[in-house]
Amino acid sequence: MPITPKPNSALLIVGHGSTENPDSSTPYFDHAEEIRRRGLFKEVHCCFWKEEPSMREAWYLTDCTDIYVVPDFISEGYFTQDVIPRELDLTGPTTTVRGKTFHYCLPVGVHPSMTGLILRRAKEVAPDVDPATTTLIITGHGTGLNQNSTKAIRDQVDLILASSAGYAHVTDAYMEEQPFIAKWDELAPTENVVVVPFFISDGLHSFQDIPVLLGIEPEVGPAASQREIFRQNPHLLRSKTLYYSSAIGTERHLADVILDQIEDFDKELKVNG
Amino acid sequence: MSPTAFLAQSLAAGIHRIGQIEIRAVGSGFQLFHADDLALVDQPDHGLTVHRDPESARDISTYAEDDTYRFTKGQTNLKRGWIMLLDSLEDTRRALDHFYPAALGLAAAQREGTLQIETLREKLNRQTGMYRFARNISDAGAQQLVQKVCGPAHQCAKWILWTLDANTPLDDSEASRFRGIPGNLTENEAIPLVCREACNHFVAECRKVSKAEHAAS
Repeated sequence: MPITPKPNSALLIVGHGSTENPDSSTPYFDHAEEIRRRGLFKEVHCCFWKEEPSMREAWYLTDCTDIYVVPDFISEGYFTQDVIPRELDLTGPTTTVRGKTFHYCLPVGVHPSMTGLILRRAKEVAPDVDPATTTLIITGHGTGLNQNSTKAIRDQVDLILASSAGYAHVTDAYMEEQPFIAKWDELAPTENVVVVPFFISDGLHSFQDIPVLLGIEPEVGPAASQREIFRQNPHLLRSKTLYYSSAIGTERHLADVILDQIEDFDKELKVNG
Repeated sequence: MSPTAFLAQSLAAGIHRIGQIEIRAVGSGFQLFHADDLALVDQPDHGLTVHRDPESARDISTYAEDDTYRFTKGQTNLKRGWIMLLDSLEDTRRALDHFYPAALGLAAAQREGTLQIETLREKLNRQTGMYRFARNISDAGAQQLVQKVCGPAHQCAKWILWTLDANTPLDDSEASRFRGIPGNLTENEAIPLVCREACNHFVAECRKVSKAEHAAS
């Protein structure tokens, strides 16, 4: 069901951003533009941890006094539970800060509709490969700062295993936590391996760091806007055929997931209200 | 005051510049272009690339002329050679939000005295991960860094409002004296770009200085 238009509200999409990689914030602005184009909100803005406008500047961004905040993050974790509430002065699902009311939704990555996006991305990158002979690896960062950071990926693994997608094996893997993505060949019992990075942007991690860990690149290379790494699939490495996709967040349907989270927030509010 | 109302009021008062961008009302619409292209705009064959979508502002402002990434939008290396023809005040404000994120709302709040300013120590103490070490920078190191990184001499057009901490203002320098308006315009002609918190580039530089100080100690 399409979201009810909110002509007096603003949508604030919150992302990480980067001071070094210009591609990092592109998906957030793409998602904002896609939603703006649909005319559902009076205003649609982005704010960031590492780019301008900062989260603390977000209060000054909008004419509206009613603001939906959706973290364009892939998991509930350190940023969504600690950093964003602290930076925006949020104390609960709905908080009024100096006359503006903020509704804090769950991050996009934990919404069940992400499963369809992962499967779509996996199919796009390896269209002629039979899932029955393929391992699907969903890879993320992993961090000791918050144990919830990996939960969204593990949940997606469970959802895909329970689905009719038919992959021979599905697993999670991380840059900085076990199981390590650097050992992807040991994690995959099949010849074909599809790796989908569970990141929002093709920034430093998914485009530059993970290709090195996979063995696709000998060293960290230039930013995504200056390369075409994803079009070189498949990669014949470590006696396997590896397909590496672009980050899940670059899927244009992620804009729908942002709207799904707002719709769920409103439903929950009505149930609890 | 809302950002859009502030823009409308500023334009009505004769203000025509923000950062490096000239704003001109034409009929019911608006033109935005690089201030250094002022002499070209009215020539019939101005050679400027015409943009009509406010979202184009993001592409125009991402890279400098030499293709370097403009990691902070206050940098005075905005590309020339373009003009935006926009239909409404709202579209103009959207474009300006890409060129100078939140600048209108920040300037409005600053003028009204309601802008919440964050000291450098508050900013550094909130950093985590690899940037946590930035908080160890000495006061002297931070003061020197302002003069090495900020201000128009280092390509930043913002008016620094923050202090080191509640009791320590910035040392007097070109950077600390700059009032957020490039060129020789006054506050009656331009909206100042204000800096309510140290940018992430400055934080990254603090980390480098902090590590160097630690290594030297």
